[in-house]
Amino acid sequence: MIAAAKHIEDTKKLLGMLPTIHLAVPEYLFIATNNARCNGSETFIKEGDHVNCCQLIGIRHAPFFDQPIHATCSGTFLGYEEHYHRSGKLVKFMKFHNDFKDTMDPSVHERSDEEIAKLTKDDIAKILKDCASVGLGGSSFPTYIKMETKNPIKHLLINGIECEPYITSDHRLMLEDSEEVIKGIKILQQAFGCSDAKLCVKGKYKDLRELYDVLLRREKDSGITLCPVGNFFPQGWEIAMIRAATGIDVPSGHLPSEFGVINFNVSTVVGIYQAVKFNMPVFERNISVTGDGVLMPSNFRVRVGTPIKSLIERSGGYKDPDKPKVFILGGPMMGASLPSDDCIITKTVTSVLVFNAEKHVVEPCIRCGSCVLSCPAHLQPVAIMNAMKVTPVEKERVKALDPLKCIECGLCTYSCTSKIPVLDFVRRAKVIAKLP
Amino acid sequence: MLLDVLIALLPVVIFALIKYTWHTAVNLAISISLMAAAEYVFVLIKNWGPKDGEKHSLLERVKFASQGYTINNFLAPTVSAVIYTMLFPAQNTNPVGFLYFALAVGALFGLIFGKLVFGGTGQNIFNPAVVGFIFVKLCFSSSFSGLWYIDSFNAVSGGGTIIPGSSVVAGGTILSTASNFETVFSSHYSFLDMFLGNIPGTMGETCKLAILLGLVYLLVRREIDWRVVVSYLGTFLLLIMIAGLVPLAKGLSGFDYGAFILTQVLSGGLLFGATFMLTDPVTMPITTPSRWLYGMIAAVATVFIRLLGGYAEGVAFSILIANMAAPVLDHYKWSSSRFHLKNVLPLVIVPLCAIGILIWALVDKLPAASAFVTLFGGAIL
Repeated sequence: MIAAAKHIEDTKKLLGMLPTIHLAVPEYLFIATNNARCNGSETFIKEGDHVNCCQLIGIRHAPFFDQPIHATCSGTFLGYEEHYHRSGKLVKFMKFHNDFKDTMDPSVHERSDEEIAKLTKDDIAKILKDCASVGLGGSSFPTYIKMETKNPIKHLLINGIECEPYITSDHRLMLEDSEEVIKGIKILQQAFGCSDAKLCVKGKYKDLRELYDVLLRREKDSGITLCPVGNFFPQGWEIAMIRAATGIDVPSGHLPSEFGVINFNVSTVVGIYQAVKFNMPVFERNISVTGDGVLMPSNFRVRVGTPIKSLIERSGGYKDPDKPKVFILGGPMMGASLPSDDCIITKTVTSVLVFNAEKHVVEPCIRCGSCVLSCPAHLQPVAIMNAMKVTPVEKERVKALDPLKCIECGLCTYSCTSKIPVLDFVRRAKVIAKLP
Repeated sequence: MLLDVLIALLPVVIFALIKYTWHTAVNLAISISLMAAAEYVFVLIKNWGPKDGEKHSLLERVKFASQGYTINNFLAPTVSAVIYTMLFPAQNTNPVGFLYFALAVGALFGLIFGKLVFGGTGQNIFNPAVVGFIFVKLCFSSSFSGLWYIDSFNAVSGGGTIIPGSSVVAGGTILSTASNFETVFSSHYSFLDMFLGNIPGTMGETCKLAILLGLVYLLVRREIDWRVVVSYLGTFLLLIMIAGLVPLAKGLSGFDYGAFILTQVLSGGLLFGATFMLTDPVTMPITTPSRWLYGMIAAVATVFIRLLGGYAEGVAFSILIANMAAPVLDHYKWSSSRFHLKNVLPLVIVPLCAIGILIWALVDKLPAASAFVTLFGGAIL
């Protein structure tokens, strides 16, 4: 079919109705020393030390920021073990033996509402830096850097769209922890001095719309409104969301804050509330475990550091264990496919998808143009692929096609009539385009 | 994808089978078998192996290379072969079996030099069916012209008798200067006959109803891009309507404006070309603004060849011309998938220039009223 792929089958109506199961914390928890953005780290504790929950145990180093590492359970530090991280790398994890007491670190203390009302944007940024708040929708970008923007903000957008199929983590969070969502939005409004806050959700989720219509009726003066937007993929992309909610077109390469807009994922907002109110870093989050490879797809509230194997056990185990499986952390369109189930939940994992592996026969490209019609960044994936197939590589030709604008949404591969993995070519083209 | 195109071709093929019975079947058999065989040999050559430096028997090597043969390697040449066969008349006369020879040579030439030398499926610049057809037309035109056809498109002369004569394929002017094509034609065939295919002509292009059924099926299933069809037919209609104003203004006797337009649209390979040959995704540009321009270029070329050129063969050549333009439209330095001024400007300039040239040529260059009759009578492929 020569058509733009826009509406992807959702397959999560039933999963969105399942309540979140709060899982018991396992006996061993693992905290990553490095992650996708940070290459080096130091730890402040040694083997055999006792740690409290949310205690500062180390610091990660990245090119332009440092990120504190916190423990997510109280117990003993046992040493290092290597496991797979969400980024696909084999990373050293710090292994903790859980003493099941959950003794909170003294750094965790409640701030009263009057104290919070006196905080300025820079105070809040400092709190978020100390609590290692990052984008929990998958970007893992440090929130305090976003908060330190000097541009005036007129619109605050909260991304509750979750446009990827199969995932319902944010959906359940918005339904079950709605008070914390609203309080977190108010803190952000106070930080930016912004009276217009929009909570963006997909227009077809009647349960969310009804709930927030009722809740926000109590908050008429707060300036928080519910903004239903389109039901297609990738509506959750920040540029698409900003266009749908405010009509502002942010061109590629520019930050939304330059146009007076700032956006946060709804899980990040709940994390911000917990950091400001209780000085607590994020140590647990919602995760959906689904796909046709597990017996009972479920929504879980999981302690950060849980091995994925225990999540799959709680979902009833593998369906057809003798068939080879595909593991994806994140959504099926943009998530990372991992080589084994020996990985650990970190703060930014939103879901675990397990599918039975399917073989596709790749046909030659017939230049139908479906990828060109589907690309949300208005690129020409088939032209980029043909440019990459030429050897020696024509740098000028690849650069002229602008592959750096690609957001790696995967719609080109999804819509290809010949089942060619077009996105891989564009990813390789990005490497070529970055060369001088 | 290719299966859908075959299903869309079914109404046309069924009509041809009903009208010409076994002639159609034989022609189809020749084309399909030759094109499929050529593609199979190509797959063998491409996958020849195993390249491990050891001795293998020929049969082993053929078996190994055949593993690369997928269903699309059969469907793609079949689709090209069916389209190619439908462009021909059902049979010719002198010598009787010559059509089969011409079909065979054209099928092989079309597939090999129109598709396989470029690298196979997805790599060709020109439509292989059109390449084969034009090859036969240019090489063997003498065998097809001046002969009496059973049920081919014949010339009409004054007096209303059907004379044996110039063929569609060769492209002589159908008309003798003394007669009025419109009146004679309309006394033998009505527009309903032209629509349903009761007129003489090649196998595929006469029954417009069958072609339209195929077009609707392809559009509903979204196997073709509607932009090319709309821009081709729309620009063609616009140019024909403006060209028809010239004899209307000059007061040509017996000239029926509506009948002229309807004849031009319903005759020849226009609808067949627009549905099956122009919309082949491999030969189209990839971006939306370029596709609008592609249809326009093909339409301008069709109108110019039909009205201003000596050939009656407007559609097939114009498809080749548009295919040539497609890589230029796709060049990375200026192609874009959004509509900017530089994309939209050609869409306006090209039809305007075409209209200008058309009017200038028709008004200035053709003084004699009889020449108008010649020109505006001959409406063919």
